[in-house]
Amino acid sequence: MDEKKAVHSGTAVSSTAVPVHTDTTAKWFLLSAVVYFFIVGIVAIILAAKFIWPEMLGTVATLTYGRLRPLHVNGMLFGWLLAADMGLVYYLVPRLCGVKLWSEKLGVATAILWNFIILSAVVVLLGGWNQGLEYAELPLWLDVLVVVAWIMFGWNIFATVAKRKYVQMYVSVWYIMGTILWTAFVYLVGNFAVLFATGVNQANLNWMYVHNAVGLIFTPVGLALAYYFIPKSGNIPLYSHKLSMIGFWSLAFIYVWTGAHHMLHGPISQWLQTIAIFFSVMLLVPVWTVVYNFFATMKGQWELLQTRVELKFLMSGVVFYLLTCFQGPMHSLRSVNALVSKTDWIPGHAHMAVLGAFSFFAIAGTLYTVPRIFKTRLHSASMANWSFWFMMIGGLGFFVTLWLGGLWQGWQWNNPAIPFIDTVVALGPVWTVRFFSGVLIFLGIVLFLYDIVATAIGASGSEPIEDAA
Amino acid sequence: MLGNAEKNAILFVIAAVLLFLTGGLLTTLVPPLIDTSWGRPFENDDPAKGPTGKLRPYTEQELAGREIYNREGCWYCHTQQTRTLLADTKRSGWRGVDSPISTPDEFVYDAPHMFGTKRTGPDLSRVGGKYDSQWHLTHFRNPRDLVPGSIMPPFPWIADNPEEFEALVAYLQTLGRAKDWRPDQDYED
Repeated sequence: MDEKKAVHSGTAVSSTAVPVHTDTTAKWFLLSAVVYFFIVGIVAIILAAKFIWPEMLGTVATLTYGRLRPLHVNGMLFGWLLAADMGLVYYLVPRLCGVKLWSEKLGVATAILWNFIILSAVVVLLGGWNQGLEYAELPLWLDVLVVVAWIMFGWNIFATVAKRKYVQMYVSVWYIMGTILWTAFVYLVGNFAVLFATGVNQANLNWMYVHNAVGLIFTPVGLALAYYFIPKSGNIPLYSHKLSMIGFWSLAFIYVWTGAHHMLHGPISQWLQTIAIFFSVMLLVPVWTVVYNFFATMKGQWELLQTRVELKFLMSGVVFYLLTCFQGPMHSLRSVNALVSKTDWIPGHAHMAVLGAFSFFAIAGTLYTVPRIFKTRLHSASMANWSFWFMMIGGLGFFVTLWLGGLWQGWQWNNPAIPFIDTVVALGPVWTVRFFSGVLIFLGIVLFLYDIVATAIGASGSEPIEDAA
Repeated sequence: MLGNAEKNAILFVIAAVLLFLTGGLLTTLVPPLIDTSWGRPFENDDPAKGPTGKLRPYTEQELAGREIYNREGCWYCHTQQTRTLLADTKRSGWRGVDSPISTPDEFVYDAPHMFGTKRTGPDLSRVGGKYDSQWHLTHFRNPRDLVPGSIMPPFPWIADNPEEFEALVAYLQTLGRAKDWRPDQDYED
């Protein structure tokens, strides 16, 4: 199969002219992303604690819930996950194309700009300078800088693809190019076009962006990582080229239609709700083809999970992806939506997507990549393994508790005889379990941070791991 | 064509953008053109057609209050939509009268919109006129003094700033008032 050639041509090509990758850009992006993962993790713990102790830090305006929450969301999405994804893209596109990155200088400049954006975002959000739109909280001048950074990123990647040595582009490269193109449109709508609209019209643009920030940024770049790192970590060929094509092109067409499902039963036209529901259910097509492809790739090789921690993260990420993308279409159905919408089920669902699936992919990629770009070995595989189990158990505790709690909450809301405050008090135990699950996840992040930083700093005399293309 | 797209980057870009833009444009540009009620402020003086009333633009003070509502992230925990669910119309109701559902024409002057995705506290789409300023002052100082078991944070920096407090309350009192849907049992101050 073709992709076998693309992913595994490394050893064959290395005897001829293998480019020497400096990977400075990837190093910058990955290390800063891992640090933000940790810092924003602290914010996450504070937020979870405020559900149990609402007075905590309650008299300090900058540390109130309403200011920390956008910092948590933006920090995790753009400071950790997208930065890590970009770092990994800077690593794998040159290798999949068999050439050096078009410009490391431009790449490093992008990384510096990105860090400037994230640090400014911290100040702006804590100061309450909030644009008032979910995922688009940052003020206009920062949005402009994000667009500049994205153009710098896209230019570098497309220029690298343009001078590639392998004519056939591997599926990861499709997803990366798709991410760059679609994100441009989605981001412009969500952060600029939206400012010219009001009311329901604005909400429609806002949800199109919110939904597609996950669906057309984190999903395709996350799948690009999975398509690369699953075969790489296991040294096994991808199962089917045809399935990867169906998965990609159906995603390209279907995903963008579904934004209005955020307003089911709400003040938005019923026919638009119905369209969003139809396409939300259709999403099972790209999801199931992709997931089947990954499972079939692992068929007969599952014992590799015992020894390779990257594969543990990757394949649990695939399972979480399957689950979260089954939930999505299901709570787009009007009947299910009436029960779970606006409840704590929703953060349970969102965290499974962003943490369970896409962060797990990025963590696996970082564990695989950092030792290779620093030309060393991972500081401690056992520490990575512990970090996996902390995040896995903490994550499951978090997701499952919020689903059950959310169902219960929705059921209570639908009985108007129960006063609202009773439905808040009833959820106390759920939020307590969520807090302790969050602490476990955070411990996993601490171990991951330590492992990665020690690998980078240590880059000691240990014999470097082989870095095939 | 899609088979060749993986060898030809330009073909790939064209296909990926076109497929995506079909839905991208149809779901963003077209809906407000088809459903014009999205942009027409609510106005009805015929009781046979449902609740009467008229949506008016916000005053300067109400807009200032809206800014504070936005700045403190109230909208992360309080939705502003009475959905087409029986329980929502009961919970948004007042003294035995069910609330009408929220319609697009009630939100024409809202930018940014405050519909919300998460309901940690109660929905506020019809809260206007239900509680007076004294109630709000006590509640912002410490929500648990009035609602035991509440997990809303205290907002002393608003309660202690008369200008901000009055603006915020002025905004809250507008919520859901375009539709005249209940007996005169409101608190304005």
